[in-house]
Amino acid sequence: MIGPALVVANISKRFGGVTAISDVSFEVPRGCLTALIGPNGAGKTTLFNLVTNLFPWTSGDILFNGASLKGSSSRQIAALGLTRTFQTARVFPRMTVLENVLVGGHRHVRSHPIAQALWLPSARRDEMQLQARAEEFLELAGLTRYCHEPATDLPMGSQKMLEVVRALMTTPQLLLLDEPAAGLNDSETAELAALLCAIRDCGVTIMLVEHNMSLVMSIADQVIVLDVGCIIASGNPKEIRRDSRVIAAYMGNDGGQTCA
Amino acid sequence: MAATIIGGLLQGGVFALLALGFALVYRVTGVVNLCQGAFCVLGALSMYTLEQTLGWPAALAATGAVVLTTLFGALLGLATFVPALNRLPNSSMLMLTAGLLTLVEGLVLIFWGSQPFNLPAFSGEAPVQIFGLRVATQAFWIVGVVAVVVCLLWYLLTRTMIGKQLRACAENPMAARLMGINVTLMSTLSFSLAAMIGAIGGIVLAPITSLQFDSGTFFTISGFIAVAIGGMGSFVGAIVGGLILGVAEQFAAGYISSLFSNGIAVILLLVALMFRPNGLFGVGGSRRVDVRDEQQVHLGIVRIQNGPAVTLSTAIVLLLAVLPWTGWFDSILPSLIITGILFIGVLGLDVLMGFAGQVSLGQGAFMAIGGYAAAILAVQYDWPPLMGVLAGIVLSLACSMGLSLVTMRLRGIYLALATLAFAMLVDSLITGWMDLTGGPSGLVGIPALSVGGYDFATPFSMYYLVLALGVVLVLLLTGLMRSSFGRALKAIRADQLAAAALDINIGRYKMAAFAISAVFASISGSLFAFNFHYLAPDMVGIPRSLEMVTMLVVGGEGMLVGPLVGVALLTLLPEVFQPLALYKTLAEGILLVMTFQYCPAGLAGLTIKQLHDVFEWFAARKHISPRITQEDLR
Repeated sequence: MIGPALVVANISKRFGGVTAISDVSFEVPRGCLTALIGPNGAGKTTLFNLVTNLFPWTSGDILFNGASLKGSSSRQIAALGLTRTFQTARVFPRMTVLENVLVGGHRHVRSHPIAQALWLPSARRDEMQLQARAEEFLELAGLTRYCHEPATDLPMGSQKMLEVVRALMTTPQLLLLDEPAAGLNDSETAELAALLCAIRDCGVTIMLVEHNMSLVMSIADQVIVLDVGCIIASGNPKEIRRDSRVIAAYMGNDGGQTCA
Repeated sequence: MAATIIGGLLQGGVFALLALGFALVYRVTGVVNLCQGAFCVLGALSMYTLEQTLGWPAALAATGAVVLTTLFGALLGLATFVPALNRLPNSSMLMLTAGLLTLVEGLVLIFWGSQPFNLPAFSGEAPVQIFGLRVATQAFWIVGVVAVVVCLLWYLLTRTMIGKQLRACAENPMAARLMGINVTLMSTLSFSLAAMIGAIGGIVLAPITSLQFDSGTFFTISGFIAVAIGGMGSFVGAIVGGLILGVAEQFAAGYISSLFSNGIAVILLLVALMFRPNGLFGVGGSRRVDVRDEQQVHLGIVRIQNGPAVTLSTAIVLLLAVLPWTGWFDSILPSLIITGILFIGVLGLDVLMGFAGQVSLGQGAFMAIGGYAAAILAVQYDWPPLMGVLAGIVLSLACSMGLSLVTMRLRGIYLALATLAFAMLVDSLITGWMDLTGGPSGLVGIPALSVGGYDFATPFSMYYLVLALGVVLVLLLTGLMRSSFGRALKAIRADQLAAAALDINIGRYKMAAFAISAVFASISGSLFAFNFHYLAPDMVGIPRSLEMVTMLVVGGEGMLVGPLVGVALLTLLPEVFQPLALYKTLAEGILLVMTFQYCPAGLAGLTIKQLHDVFEWFAARKHISPRITQEDLR
């Protein structure tokens, strides 16, 4: 397929009298890693929630593979191949790491529940294939040793990785990651960066919201900077690093010093 | 006409009081307190004892009864309800309050017995004439008391510091705690206030309605329906909802049939849920949804490895298969059969509650549908029993689908309450529809179950039938639960939003789980009828539904072995301790509450965990030299 994976066109969102997002437009090119950055309260997560339709937008449109997402439920959006993760890791409690990942593969299960209840060979084969794929992904993320541990017992960094792996099991065309590095230490962040690059190199388009500048600058192909609901800059990491508006937004107008 | 309206408003006034109690606790703690109705009964019966037995003057007796009930409520709240608030998710809190309801009913049963009680009217029985209408003097008491309580409550909540604190707890308990508000105290206060309001309602109503130990369930459901119509958490809504419900019930009773007075309440509820899920005066706003706010219990995962699981279950089945041959268990064989039959019903409930995390308080209703469908078709239409069982299954499926469609858009707790209301509807239908069901005295002359010419007429044959059916159903569920279907259910229980983001069709899965639970209950109900050759409403009524929830929770939800432990315990123990039958209801309530408090994984979960730890310990010992172990022990 050609053309950008995601097109956000003149999108606005108002909560009562507060304009959280005003007239934002951008494109997410296919096969690239796009990062959405901005100071606290810039509207990054709101924008994410609009894309996955957790709440409806006020005006404008969002197109995924050329089709509008207006009015689609979270599940329908996931069914289109657009999978998201959440700001606070939302692994399923009371399930093991492996089971968490298997849930991600849910949409690829072809066997009917009745076949599963009757222990039919076809259902078992389906299950084995899913499990093999899940183990492969866990290996990729370095989580194999936790395989049978309860997911909530994992350290935060591993939970975040697990959530990415789980999202990956849906074989998404576009992966939306909401602050994947929040709460991670430096070595965990480095592992995450490696994982994200590996995923992108497999051809999955990624868009992420992130605070961690060094992570964004090292792995992103395109950076979009949001401040108080508007895009103030976009481009590759090098351009962004030099952009005076970005520096002003992060350091305050009178700062004038170069930021990291 | 006018008399009906007045009667309705009176009844409605009391419902409004109950609804206020609900709204109060819900506003402060976010929990629907099903124990509410029990305080009515407790208040009224305490007054009866103080006034009639001890000879206190009415005013003093009423005050004493209200104080006693409030104190009891405060103690109960402080010991069970409030400490659980921080640890249990909302669905478990709902079941905990259902357990409290059972507990209080059990207490009332022990102290006052099961006969109905009636208080004398406060100002004599002679009615007064107003505009040509004869109105009982008690009516003025009810109206006056309701008005005073409403005004006082309004003053407390809006004009005092305590009211501000209560409302702060409702909005955000964490922030309230940081502001120095004693959230524990406020939760206890709201619970006790609700108990007090309940007691007052019971006392003023008792002269015009007779009350008995299990009337609490009726009051709870009516109060809840009133508050659901008016809007959860809205005080004006509670009052309006109560009045609407009272008038509607009186009209239904007066002009159609008293059979439908319960029915109309349920229909009102379902209509309200369908068209105005937030109620007439509902306070619903959009909230941030991408951050998880529900409390999660970190139980860990209790599971047996595949190998030991196969060995263990084979051993259990073999043991059960040879049991009747030993001859030692002939006396309890009927109880074993009942255990097996109930196990099937609770197994279905486990799929819905333990795996999908949806609470159903109406499992008994589906047992009733399965039981009565099979029994009526066999007795009155001479259908072969197996066809009757099938008809029951089809009917249960249809009802479960209908209920899911109504409740699908609503939050979890509403399914539980809709099932409770549905159970009440079914109960009133089978009690009232005398020609078909035999009414309260039950349906007799149900034949034995026969399949292909073979009659399962002896306990011996019935035992093996139930055993075989149980094994087959467990195998089917095992296959289902260890595949993608079971994982999807568990994911939905754990986190709906995250599950939806992974392309899991939540509505369809919940519906499937509900359908499975309905079918299992229906089968279990049919077996009940064929086993006893007799079926009465109280065998499959609301107490049965609550008992099944207790069995599941006590045994351990989310494991297929849990229901077996719970059902066996609660069916076989009372059999062994026959003389203590009076204490059964109380014991069930206490067991449910204690399980939530001390052993949320249930008895089966606890046992497996302990065994696991013992094995680990032995395994660890093998690899360590004895000297070091000794050091460690010191």
